[in-house]
Amino acid sequence: MIAQHTITTTPKYNFPQPIIDAALPQRFIEQSLHSLKSVHNQTIQLNQQDIQQTNTSELQTHALQLKLQPIPLKPLAEEITVAAIDTSSMKIGETSTGIVIAIRGATVCKENKHYRYMRLGPFIFHVTEENKKEVYTMLQAAYFNTMHEHVHQGLLNLIQMPTRIANFLERWLQTNLAKTLGKSLILFDGSLTSGTPDTPTPLMKETLHTARERGNIVLAFSKMTTLRVNGHLITEMLPSYKPPYMLETIGLKPKPPIVLFGEVYVARLTHGNYAFRLDIDKEAPHQQRIEAVEKLLGNDSLSQSYPETLRLAHILCTFTANEVIAMQHFITRKYGLKILNRPDIHRLLFGPFGRGEGCS
Amino acid sequence: MKLYKKEGNIVQILSFPNETVEKGDYLLVEDAEAAKALIVQVIDVQFASIPGVLEELLRSLPDGGELIQGEDFDPLEIAPHITYIQDASLLVCKIRATVENENLTPSSSWLPSRSQSLIKKLPIPTLLKLAKVDGKLPIILGNTKDSSPLTIDASSLDGRLNIITGKKETGKSHLSKLLMLNLVGHKATVVVFDLNGEYVSLGMTSDEKRNAYHDKIHVLTPNQNFRVSLKQLNLHVLLGILIHALHLPGTSAREFRRIWQSLKERDMLNMHELGETIRNWHCNQHVRDALFSRYHALANSGFFTDETAGAMLLEECLFKAREQGGAIIINLKNTSAIDRQIIVEYVLGKLIELLSSWKLKATFLFAEEAHLYLRETYWDDIVTRMRHFGIFTTFITNQPDTIRENIYRQADNIFLFNFTNEHDLEVVSRAARVDAETVKSIARDLPPHHCLTLGRAVRDFPMVVKVKALDVKTMGETRLFFKNAS
Repeated sequence: MIAQHTITTTPKYNFPQPIIDAALPQRFIEQSLHSLKSVHNQTIQLNQQDIQQTNTSELQTHALQLKLQPIPLKPLAEEITVAAIDTSSMKIGETSTGIVIAIRGATVCKENKHYRYMRLGPFIFHVTEENKKEVYTMLQAAYFNTMHEHVHQGLLNLIQMPTRIANFLERWLQTNLAKTLGKSLILFDGSLTSGTPDTPTPLMKETLHTARERGNIVLAFSKMTTLRVNGHLITEMLPSYKPPYMLETIGLKPKPPIVLFGEVYVARLTHGNYAFRLDIDKEAPHQQRIEAVEKLLGNDSLSQSYPETLRLAHILCTFTANEVIAMQHFITRKYGLKILNRPDIHRLLFGPFGRGEGCS
Repeated sequence: MKLYKKEGNIVQILSFPNETVEKGDYLLVEDAEAAKALIVQVIDVQFASIPGVLEELLRSLPDGGELIQGEDFDPLEIAPHITYIQDASLLVCKIRATVENENLTPSSSWLPSRSQSLIKKLPIPTLLKLAKVDGKLPIILGNTKDSSPLTIDASSLDGRLNIITGKKETGKSHLSKLLMLNLVGHKATVVVFDLNGEYVSLGMTSDEKRNAYHDKIHVLTPNQNFRVSLKQLNLHVLLGILIHALHLPGTSAREFRRIWQSLKERDMLNMHELGETIRNWHCNQHVRDALFSRYHALANSGFFTDETAGAMLLEECLFKAREQGGAIIINLKNTSAIDRQIIVEYVLGKLIELLSSWKLKATFLFAEEAHLYLRETYWDDIVTRMRHFGIFTTFITNQPDTIRENIYRQADNIFLFNFTNEHDLEVVSRAARVDAETVKSIARDLPPHHCLTLGRAVRDFPMVVKVKALDVKTMGETRLFFKNAS
């Protein structure tokens, strides 16, 4: 007699199904709806400069060195799942008491040569000086409840709230991928630093540990870096060596409470003059780290040294202009906000000279 | 709906998916403060230029050109709002009039408030009432898009030049029959040049019973019940045939005049004597040959007879129609090109004769594919001279370029069916009573049996109408080889 396997429905992404803590998304919805109740019948001034905000937390460094001997890379064809996470936040308007922001997260998974995505959001929050602490605390509690009792909030600045709320979602998505995937490459946007209010060290440590336990390896790509050697950006000090290759950094010592969980490399993975700071989980053995990048080369398409999976995650969570209009439409319709077109003071005063780049 | 832009007499209106507006619809842009409103007609519906739409479309297609698969967890249900914004449309509208104190003026010189104006659909019955498109002699053309009947006044066709045009099988002949029967119903005299024998059964219902028009439809089929004897003809009518239809040169025409006078004096006006006289006439051999060849053309047409009793008098039918209204259908089916021209010359000559002597008040003339039988000089005659005699023509054609440009320019009413060909639309758009954008944009998308009515009949408010059905026996169907197989 042949033993027959139980046939079950295909799980989402074909991921294993562990217990996923859904408290954070639930709190996101609750806080979103709760905060929006306070905007009823107010006026909203649309954002005059729509700037997409993404997390680009950086590391301050001393005595950083770059090994000039490149680590050559060869694509490894061994089939492996590649997953990526990114989130986006945006201020979509101002009320007389605060700001209206939108947050969205996306995970993209490349499996069997096909990309699939999952998008969460947009979540819309009305954050005011009065409720910012409540919103933040509730989300923090929902996220850290199961893991850590006390996390430092830092100074809550209204302007930083979009980024900080988006960070919660991003960390939650990262943790969930680390828990659900197995023997995969997980790509983060940014770096593997922790010790910031939004990325507590124990949390990052646990995420990486969980990922490692399940045979995953985490690679974090920074689109922008401020790390410099002798005054030059590390991503611009590229030797004339045929890509793909990586350059290893040494001597990177973060100031406490910042903790660095990754080995920092400069990765030039395709032809062209683009290179990125790449953090790879430092607990993984050296050879495994190199192999991880080689597997990435063999399993994902790369354009301008950037993995397609991560690019898609970014594209999918980014708010397009028509989505912003739609969200403004949503809050005006559902919460009775009246759109107010207050004149742009810069334009009013300075005419065509009123909006230079970086003006404030 | 929101007023977005105004340039010249074009306004652009932003419309959202829940507001169903189509080409041809009328909108009222009301500015309460100015106590005025603009009547505009939608001539094109476009996608609104929403920022970010391209990015939105692009990001759904990165997986080797296939749609990227995935799931969206959208707890606040923003997606319908995104769709709502993405599907917003821009209505390009033409200003038709301004309403002030319920009076219409063709002015578009004022600007309604962009933020305060209220835009709503203007029901056709309301527009018709405002524009006073009614009258004592109603002709129901059919139903507009909002299912209200479009009634024009028969007097709007009176003394006017009309054109019915559109590509094949869109319903031109059907409309022409409808107009014709309604005119007859209002006791008008109608003459139809029926090229394909489509009008011959208008006195019968679809189940072949006599209808209300049966006694008013007089079908004249050349060589059958429509022949003329030379005695019934005036010389100038016959000369018209010889010169214009049979291209008789001037010198020969002068000689023919002498022959005719000679025969008339001897009371011997008949075909046999005409032939004999030409044969024996003392004149230049070339002139004789020319006259003789024309004589044979007349004789071979079979339209001319020496038996006065067998000749059907066009006049009789016209006089009958004069009292109670009626249509004289000149059945040109199965007639050769030359014979057609002879018959048409005769009918037009006779009509002018009767009209100029006030024996007839006026006549409506329906001419299908007139380029096939109308001589060159008649086109100008029709828009100038013949109108003054009282011949009010309606041209029906599927080749708009066969009608001269000056006819379009002077047309008072145009009933336009679907055209897809740019060239055809270009020709029709030369009509003075309509703007080219309206013609090109609306006519292109007209479904079969839908007609864009332009001109006086609708007080210059172009209207799309589904032409109503007629319970008459149809004769215009195309003969098909595979009819039974399908």
